[in-house]
Amino acid sequence: MTAAIQLAVGRRETVVRQDRAGTALWFLLGPCLAYLAAFAIYPLLYSLRLSFTDLTAADGTGRWVGLQNYRDLIVDPLFWNAAMNSAIMVFGAVAIQVVLGTALAMFFNLRLHGSAIVRGILVLPMLITPIVVGVMWRALLNPDWGLINWAIGALGFDPPNWLGSIRMAMKTLILVDVWQWTPFVFIIVFARLQALPQDVMEAAQIDGAGAISTFRHITLPLLMPAIAFAAVFRAVDAFRSFDLIYGLSYGGPARSTTTLSFFSFQNGFEFQNYGYAAAVAYMMLVILMVGTTLLLRHVQLRSAHAQ
Amino acid sequence: MKRVAGRALAYLVLILLGVVGIAPFLYLLVLSGKRRIEILSQVPPTLSFDWRTISKTYGEVLYSQGMLAFTTNSVIVVGLATGIALIIGTPAAYAFSRLPFRGKANLANTILSMRFMPPIAVAIPLFLMMKWIGLRDSYPGLILPYVAFSLPAVVWIMIGFFDEVPREIDDAALVDGCTHGGVLWRVMLPLVRPGLVTAALFSAIFIWNEFLVALYVIDSRGLQTISLGAATLVSAQRPIDWNIAAAVGVVTVVPMLIFSLLVQRYIVRGLTSGAVR
Repeated sequence: MTAAIQLAVGRRETVVRQDRAGTALWFLLGPCLAYLAAFAIYPLLYSLRLSFTDLTAADGTGRWVGLQNYRDLIVDPLFWNAAMNSAIMVFGAVAIQVVLGTALAMFFNLRLHGSAIVRGILVLPMLITPIVVGVMWRALLNPDWGLINWAIGALGFDPPNWLGSIRMAMKTLILVDVWQWTPFVFIIVFARLQALPQDVMEAAQIDGAGAISTFRHITLPLLMPAIAFAAVFRAVDAFRSFDLIYGLSYGGPARSTTTLSFFSFQNGFEFQNYGYAAAVAYMMLVILMVGTTLLLRHVQLRSAHAQ
Repeated sequence: MKRVAGRALAYLVLILLGVVGIAPFLYLLVLSGKRRIEILSQVPPTLSFDWRTISKTYGEVLYSQGMLAFTTNSVIVVGLATGIALIIGTPAAYAFSRLPFRGKANLANTILSMRFMPPIAVAIPLFLMMKWIGLRDSYPGLILPYVAFSLPAVVWIMIGFFDEVPREIDDAALVDGCTHGGVLWRVMLPLVRPGLVTAALFSAIFIWNEFLVALYVIDSRGLQTISLGAATLVSAQRPIDWNIAAAVGVVTVVPMLIFSLLVQRYIVRGLTSGAVR
């Protein structure tokens, strides 16, 4: 009897609590969802609609043209040039950053005196305005008076034409991105490295494994989730990157640094061809969705966080 | 002996890393203190400065070129947008962390994936929307989109911090008759204060640096934000006065660097939750 009462009371309490949770849910979650629906989802759908019109700044009406923008896009050599540049930038930058960032994490694991200060310095490039990063590096790489060209000359070498030549400009863009964002990979891999159990590595060394084989067969596999996590973020951000290009090279010379982001921007802002710009942006979104879906099948995004 | 040499080499590498990290900032700072002609003729620049040159350059940048006004605009926009994003995002993160409901995982992933959205994909529609509601060329015209840009990161960061608070704490408060709102406000918020700082920091950095949407939405020079102002002053399209450009760069990054130094210990935590940008 008492047991039955207790059971009944217990059941009532769960019902009340679930009910309370139901209304609470609306109050807690509602504003955020409504806001994102209005200012993130709606613009995205609006953009999709724009990509089916010929809307320009001059002609504000915008006729429905169906798939015309996408058909133009497929045969536009400038679009393929931009797609190629995006691919080179993403793969080039991320590959270098992953290798250097992991190497940095191993290096900082030596725990030298003063390494905390240097780590603090290496965080700074990530925080500053990409436009200013561009200007900063234009100064450093200036062919007439830039510090880097002076240093290369003083060492007796011939400095390359960093931003002036078609062959060099994309490499320079990648170089600057590497300077700014390698620390991101480093910080994430380093955080993971510090959380690893030390005894595994010690046991391997006692068993006679050398430093290199300990790294290859034990440390690296354990670091892999963090490296993959950092690489996904870097790949997406390099793909979206726009401000840095605006500040560093403005897509030039001869479109050699015009990525998809910059190509969409030029069509939208300079040529004011909103429909076409939206179509380019939507191609980017499709690539992003396919790419991240494939990547996320292998990478657990919250894993690096759960330390 | 070999060990000592290895140690010395390691320290050399460490110093080199520090130099590579900081030299570009220092170079910009040095250039901003030189006259235009000195930048072209002194290679590398010396470390002797003339106070009058410095005050003239910075005076021009801050007042004639309007960087001081741009900074004020940015502080207003960053403050309001970050505040609103925290007010809307924190309760949502609490709900994701604590309340059971159907489709939770999918909804959370959808919100988090918005962090990957290229701004270029929404800049034009946001601009047309703002024009349509009559908020083009105004603070709210920037604040409304910026809140949406910050929200996914705020929710993302805050879920992580709420998850770290033991459930027993809010269960106890709920049994005592507290509502979920009450638990969040009185019990949880004080416990996740570091999370609020981290979320605010990354939201602020992102908005401070954003300029694409501002480029579309803002027309009047008087309403330009700092990164938009800097972008128009130092655009890669046209030749520039390098002493002015360097000073513009310094003025743009120094406030954020100071702010970041004040809350330094939150940066790494924020980065490891993938919050940056």
